[in-house]
Amino acid sequence: MIPYPTYTFITEDPIDMNAITAQITSPTTGAVVVFTGVVRAVTSRGDPRETSYLEYEAYAPMADAKMRQVADEIRARWSEVEGIVILQRVGRLDPGTPTTVIACSAAHRDSGVFEAARYGIERLKEIVPVWKKEVGPQGQVWVEGNHLPTTE
Amino acid sequence: MSTCTVLFFATLKDRTGTRQVTLEIPDGLTVGGLKTIIRDKFPAITTALAHALIAVNREYAIDDDPIPAEAEIALFPPVSGGSWRLYI
Repeated sequence: MIPYPTYTFITEDPIDMNAITAQITSPTTGAVVVFTGVVRAVTSRGDPRETSYLEYEAYAPMADAKMRQVADEIRARWSEVEGIVILQRVGRLDPGTPTTVIACSAAHRDSGVFEAARYGIERLKEIVPVWKKEVGPQGQVWVEGNHLPTTE
Repeated sequence: MSTCTVLFFATLKDRTGTRQVTLEIPDGLTVGGLKTIIRDKFPAITTALAHALIAVNREYAIDDDPIPAEAEIALFPPVSGGSWRLYI
């Protein structure tokens, strides 16, 4: 039996959602959950502000390895997940633009496939070395997390 | 002695004004020891280094870890979970 595919991408190119869905659709697939993060122009939660654009930067070889680790973690938790795509777009990205994709496919929607995609985006933000510089009317700022990965 | 490559990302790249340096390091140096060498060479990142993450050959490392010969070291801020904002 051919194992289900895992695709990871770090790219400057626009994201093609239909192509991503097609990549993880097999003859047994009946459900695909696609989460995408989008550049938000207006933030009201927390520290209200406007964003002109974001500049994403990645440590690409390590980011790719950590994306594969996230995919492995998803498979260990949700055995019914079939295909997985994890994608990070880098470079200058304007409001309204998709920046990140976690897509998981499965035979059925009650297979844990929603939870798998949710887990994927949370882990991506914890351990995958990607940073964004936010540029707005107030100036520019590096957005940083406070999660310190452990090395166990 | 051996050499290692040190890569800087995000705020650390901006503050050092460089993406990459090659350093001569003594054999048996640990990650903590390397941080001291980097701090002396780039005083502008003394504060940022205190909560920077460090990767050795593309895996997260801690201060006690040894640095293998010809290692690729990366220094960067916590990844972009977005919990706090460091103005530049």
